[in-house]
Amino acid sequence: MNFELTNEQQMLQDSVARFIQDNYDLESRAKSAASKSGFSQDHWQTMADLGWLGLGFDEADGGFGGGHVDIMLLMEQFGKGLVLEPLLASVILGGGALKRGACAELKTEILPGLIDGSRQLALAYAEEQAHFDLHDVITTARSKDDGFIINGHKSMVLHAGTADQIVVSARTSGGQIDENGISLFLIDADAEGVKRENFPTVDGLQACEVTLKDVIVGSNRLLGELDDGFAILNNVATDAILALSAEAVGAMEILYKDTVEYTQQREQFGHPLADFQVLQHRMVEMFMEYEQCKSLLYRATMEAAQGSATTQRTVHALKHLVGKSGIFIAENAVQLHGGMGMTEELRIGHYLKRMIVIDAQFGNADYHLQKFAA
Amino acid sequence: MDIELGSEDLAFREDVRGFFAENAYKAGEDYNVWRLEWFKKAAQMGGWDVPKWSKEFGGPGWTPTQHYIWEQETATATLPWDMPFGIGMVAPIIMAYGNEEQQKRFLPDIRARKVNWCQGYSEPGAGSDLAALKTKAVLSEDGTHYTVNGTKIWTTMAQIADWIFCLTRTDDSGIKQEGITFLLFPMKQKGIEVKPIITLGGAHSVNMVYFTDVSVPVENRIGEEGKGWTYAKGLLQHERTGLAGISRSIVALEKLKEQASSVKRGNGSLMDEPSFRAKVAELEIDLMASEYTELRSLASASAGSAPGPESSILKLKGTEIQQRIAKLTVEAGGIYSAAWGRGVGHKFAKAGMGGYLASRAFTIYGGASEVQKDVIAKNVLGLKRSTT
Repeated sequence: MNFELTNEQQMLQDSVARFIQDNYDLESRAKSAASKSGFSQDHWQTMADLGWLGLGFDEADGGFGGGHVDIMLLMEQFGKGLVLEPLLASVILGGGALKRGACAELKTEILPGLIDGSRQLALAYAEEQAHFDLHDVITTARSKDDGFIINGHKSMVLHAGTADQIVVSARTSGGQIDENGISLFLIDADAEGVKRENFPTVDGLQACEVTLKDVIVGSNRLLGELDDGFAILNNVATDAILALSAEAVGAMEILYKDTVEYTQQREQFGHPLADFQVLQHRMVEMFMEYEQCKSLLYRATMEAAQGSATTQRTVHALKHLVGKSGIFIAENAVQLHGGMGMTEELRIGHYLKRMIVIDAQFGNADYHLQKFAA
Repeated sequence: MDIELGSEDLAFREDVRGFFAENAYKAGEDYNVWRLEWFKKAAQMGGWDVPKWSKEFGGPGWTPTQHYIWEQETATATLPWDMPFGIGMVAPIIMAYGNEEQQKRFLPDIRARKVNWCQGYSEPGAGSDLAALKTKAVLSEDGTHYTVNGTKIWTTMAQIADWIFCLTRTDDSGIKQEGITFLLFPMKQKGIEVKPIITLGGAHSVNMVYFTDVSVPVENRIGEEGKGWTYAKGLLQHERTGLAGISRSIVALEKLKEQASSVKRGNGSLMDEPSFRAKVAELEIDLMASEYTELRSLASASAGSAPGPESSILKLKGTEIQQRIAKLTVEAGGIYSAAWGRGVGHKFAKAGMGGYLASRAFTIYGGASEVQKDVIAKNVLGLKRSTT
């Protein structure tokens, strides 16, 4: 039993940290966010060149055979920089569905480009009425000739605006909230009948509302078995929660450390703010919640890595705690920064926005508490 | 990163389980005979009677992982009654700062559980601000003995203790942390009076202890005169990490779930009520995180490095969790928790209230939670000591 990193993992952590340090000041980030794609194409290519886009794929699929721990280390550093590039959307969500469901032929067609950065994927799982339930699907895929016709509306599809292909969940049988009867399809983002309405989200990332009208897709683009897409979606969601939680933990570290630093500099009533015990205790609480989240992140990540039977339950626990504590830390960071915490020029508020969004992705703190308790 | 136990650790766990099973208390046995026999057999296992002692002093020299396994297993097994003050508190100080003669004189009796110790730290005017203590020790002109006068408070088990380890003031000319001297002396002697303090649960475990011209030979002083604060501080850290009780809380939480499931509500039980269930779930999640915080802390200890920042939060989180479990047990008992030991209604409700009331002390003793936060602010966050 140990928490030590291998040499390779240590090197990965160092190189991601250096990348963030060198490239992710607030100003550069704002510039990338305001660009056409909403992120930096240069950074995206660098990430591909450094092998980060292939970490989650087996060597047989052209990846680098990294595990859950590698992804955790990567995403923790990403959280520190509030990274904009669509690694989660393209690699963990889209790529995650593909590596689990695609046949060998489809993998060969798609994965190399995904890993070298030339191809971008997205995953359209959410619908307006579904709230956080992955199995609440109205969008239909009707079988026709040697393929399917998809009709429906997918909501809040991360980074679909720049995606080349989109994995879509659609109902092929059963009722609106049945877990059975959901199938996953890989469609071209510019296929006939696909309408994408792109917009920036509050945290500076990108999302689309995707309307599908009589979109024709071949049966060779079906991921996994017909009607069995939910299991794939659920596993992808687990990976996504682990990645988002790692990102949140990285962000929490910045939030509590920035707050400690700021309150030591800012003087009021003739003292640095950090001299006041009520603020010291608040910062200690922020620090403790950060450490507790980190502990649970390690637990969930290691359980997932060894395929433990308790993984799902621990992941519910993690998403609950990360949502609750992340917002606690971020709100208090803004509070302790006072008026300055409210400004766009300080990075604190940007972390708050990201933390609120992370809580709402793949089920918030309340949702996962209920799942955990069920 | 790897959470699997290695084959050696798995074998060790089997040994521990085997030992506990083989030496479990059997109904009808004389408890005291069994107790002392248990410790003797544990000693034969290679220091299992003193798990936390170093190898040099006869301890087992376990790895942090082995300690963790031991703690996990002891949470479910019934171990003989033991007091922490000798084995866990004064012995480490005697080992670290006592001279060889003192080590030979005190350690064997502590290990054999022959002598009960108590801790003379807090005073009516020195609680969280322990260094403000005033119990005076004056060295005789010939330098052979100290004369001790003063009052100690919250002295646990002073009523049965044979010896006390005591912080006394030998000098009040400098800053308050200096001039404190660490003395050991017998409790059953002229000039010592013990008065019980009855706490909220109705139990008598803590006391007032009055010293009037108590004579203490100079060879009972640990280390140098005036350095007692340094020695005691080392022990306090030791004491605090031991107070988190994570493994015991895991067992206690399972028990709470069983108890709540036995409370009928409509067609189901209290555990089916969403608000109660949510509280239990939140508690369990905090406990799951704390378990790994403890493991991370152990892991950094096993790598030989100083305990990381994560260890500092264990006492705070651990005691808070213990209190939440105790509180939910009282909630689960409903009105029957008010019957105060009468055994009305749910069986478990009989003990629930006593446990709850006693648990309120957990965030007070061993450094109140607020003081712990001051310590973390200073030592981990690097902030200046707050005066405002």
